[in-house]
Amino acid sequence: MASYIGERVRRNEDARLLTGRALFVDDVQLPGMAHVAFLRSDHAHGRLRGVDVEDARRYPGVIAVFTAADLGDFWQPGPLLVPPPPVPGLEFHARTQVPLARDKVRHVGEPIAMVVAESRYVAEDALALIAVDVEPLGAVGDLEAALLPDAPKVHDELASNLAARVRQQKGDYDRARADADLVVSRRFVYDRGASAAIENRAVAAAWDPKSEELTIWDTTQAPIPIRNGLARLLGLLESQVNVIAPFVGGGFGPKIMMFYPEEVLVPWAARRLGRPLKWTEDRHENFGATTQERSQVHDAEIALTREGRILGVRDVFLHDNGAYNAYGLTVPINSQCTLLGMYRVPNYESEFKAVFTTRTQVTPVRGAGRQHGVFVMERLLDLAARELGIDRLELRRRNLLSPDEFPHNHEIIFQDFAPLTYDSGDYLPAFDEAAALIGYDRFYREEQPRLRAEGRRVGLGIVGYVEGTGIGPYEGARVTVEPSGLVRVATGVGTQGQGHFTAFAQLVADALGVDVEQVRVVTGDTREFHWGTGTFASRGAVVAGTACRSAALAVRDKVVALAARLLDAAPETIELEGGRARGRGRDDASLSLGELAARANPLRGAVTPGMEPGLEATAYFGPDRGNTANGVHAMIVEVDPETADVKILRYVVVHDCGRLINPLIVEGQIQGGVAHGIGNAFYEQLHYNEDGQLLNASLMDYLLPVATDVPDVEMAHRETPSPFNPSGLKGVGEAGCIATGALFAQAVEDALGHAVEIRGIPLSPDRLFHLMREARA
Amino acid sequence: MKVTGTFLFRGPREAVWDLLQDPAVLAKAMPGAERLERTEGDRFEGSMKVSLGPVTAARFTLVVELADKAAPERFAMRIDSQGPLGFTRGKALVELTPVDEGTMMSYSSDLQIGGRIAAVGQRVIDMAARMMTEKGLESLQKELDARLAGGSRA
Repeated sequence: MASYIGERVRRNEDARLLTGRALFVDDVQLPGMAHVAFLRSDHAHGRLRGVDVEDARRYPGVIAVFTAADLGDFWQPGPLLVPPPPVPGLEFHARTQVPLARDKVRHVGEPIAMVVAESRYVAEDALALIAVDVEPLGAVGDLEAALLPDAPKVHDELASNLAARVRQQKGDYDRARADADLVVSRRFVYDRGASAAIENRAVAAAWDPKSEELTIWDTTQAPIPIRNGLARLLGLLESQVNVIAPFVGGGFGPKIMMFYPEEVLVPWAARRLGRPLKWTEDRHENFGATTQERSQVHDAEIALTREGRILGVRDVFLHDNGAYNAYGLTVPINSQCTLLGMYRVPNYESEFKAVFTTRTQVTPVRGAGRQHGVFVMERLLDLAARELGIDRLELRRRNLLSPDEFPHNHEIIFQDFAPLTYDSGDYLPAFDEAAALIGYDRFYREEQPRLRAEGRRVGLGIVGYVEGTGIGPYEGARVTVEPSGLVRVATGVGTQGQGHFTAFAQLVADALGVDVEQVRVVTGDTREFHWGTGTFASRGAVVAGTACRSAALAVRDKVVALAARLLDAAPETIELEGGRARGRGRDDASLSLGELAARANPLRGAVTPGMEPGLEATAYFGPDRGNTANGVHAMIVEVDPETADVKILRYVVVHDCGRLINPLIVEGQIQGGVAHGIGNAFYEQLHYNEDGQLLNASLMDYLLPVATDVPDVEMAHRETPSPFNPSGLKGVGEAGCIATGALFAQAVEDALGHAVEIRGIPLSPDRLFHLMREARA
Repeated sequence: MKVTGTFLFRGPREAVWDLLQDPAVLAKAMPGAERLERTEGDRFEGSMKVSLGPVTAARFTLVVELADKAAPERFAMRIDSQGPLGFTRGKALVELTPVDEGTMMSYSSDLQIGGRIAAVGQRVIDMAARMMTEKGLESLQKELDARLAGGSRA
């Protein structure tokens, strides 16, 4: 039987997306709908002495204005989404965001009041009438200064701005260091960026007093947890709350934060006022109100023998939480665990402190801290290679884990609370393939010398990474064959462009022997499926995909049993193909799946004891632990010596995400991830000043890479199946952006003949220009 | 944001001092100022409209308090302005020194700017502050000229 797995199947959802027929939250228009705008803090840190909303309440067209004082018992801090992992000696202080600021404001953009009006125009005009009395307090931004005893405290009741301290180790780094021929140490800085999804956040909500149901359209990556949380907050049954995450224009992590203030307030107010409400975030709001990522400062060192064997790594770093830490330690734990990469590191000591600052909250953004770890490790290897006089590719080869070392337990705890264990991988061929594709040897033998002679600054980078993907807890799916012959698949994850409508359909189509276009997938609608967690950690295909497959196989069993009975054939002879069931060798007698579905649910005699009606099954998949995808990125860049602009001449990705469901989708994920990574490495940086004001909160000043900045990525696929799920799948959603910072640094240094040493990301033409000027001075 | 500079007034120090203490004059000298009134002692309140890059004609309330006055040598100002598009808050110090050509004013201010004006106006904010200061000081010189010529233009 032909299989869809591994085929370049065109995406089922693209016709709707490309012709503008896909529903996004802002498309939701309901009779009587009113509109919401939020008054947000202009101050990074201050005591809120008063909020006077009387003039705004009297403004024509305003329906209601709410402050924290109006929320009563509904005012409560959000949940701690991820408690700290079980690391011995860990210190952790949770402080989560509140719906509206009550006593203090802790970052620019934090909501203070909510206006509901007949139109967004009126709502925004009314915002201007609200008088806020704030006593400014000192801003907290610099991570080292934040921990000094005289620093202003973001949370008054805590002893300091320390949010967490986590130390993990394996082996004995001090001994490794004592035995080393070379120790290289440096400080590395990785600064903040926004996720900059093309669609900002939006929430619409309607309360139907007759059915007593609340329906919420939300740009969330996690509709089911939102439904569960809102039901609890509002004192409703979960079945009274429907959350729909329709098509979403990019998630990238911030849209799985829960609960954003707007996400709890809009439904609450819709029910209280008896009016459908909508709020759509504007780009300016997005820069302060949607979570961000990335500020970390690492003091790291690597110890090696003179042959280039890694003896150990020590890393001590500070992580910027922003004002709250609902996501616990996910991001810094990812940095800590991803640092080890593809390499055999017998001794590792890593300690981080997470710090509260008066900046927007940090939660996972595509890569989710992994790129920091890769940056530190790959930079250390580059520096060590130069000191040892060993080619940097060769140094990496000497330290790669070999296939016989899997599963490889790194003896530290990962974000899914399980020991960081690499399930499978084969790294050396990946490095070799990337080196061959980029033409590593020829570049140094011919191209670079020739171009240098012409005065051109051209350099090459090559780095690898291992990415933890596909973590639990679980997802589920229900598969139904309908009498029309169409197959309906419902799963709980939300979709933000990942191709779920196709990848899941391929898995189900294979199990049932139907055309992939006959499989209709519904995601992100709690009325359709209401168990599950969400789309994050590169897990949709692995976890939800596997659940879809299991449910389809259970339906297959039902189809086979029924067809065998009706065709009077032995079940083991029943074959499913082309949407029909037939007995082997009996082409004359077959039944379509639609007919079987109808026969499985007749008006008389459908269910006898032990039977279920219809052709339907529900299944769940919960992996014990995440699996590890990997990849090698290589790039050739040219640096303009006058303007410090960097042009990417070639970009190669050799990646391994286990078995591929659909190469087309995987390539799209990688191309998009690389675009994200290029932005992160060379354009995007959130500039805060010492007062905690974000100075480039618009797309005029916050640079995103545009189409001409992003090359067509040349790709090669390798497939080392994961043993942790039946299809051998691994995740790929974040792969493209994890290595880019380290890659940029290495390639640019090489292009400039190592005149500069790059220890910070993001670079920018401006920052590189200054580095080059300092180097000349 | 820090703004520092000097300006040569063509006129005697006492006349410059009196000029700088007159809210009606200051209101005219400040580009965008709509009004400025003395509410008590050395406290002045008013409002102003400022355009800054992509931020057009935003209205701000303005409170100015004079402090540490040592006539006619120097005084300090506390400035607090707020509006829907942000705030400015800080201190300024003004010193007047007699020189041959008239009176040299040196000023330095340290202002916190927040909200949308900081977030989207950053690229133009320094230039705008400098231009507004220069324009304001030139209007003050004209006012001074008028006063010294024997009549107030107010």
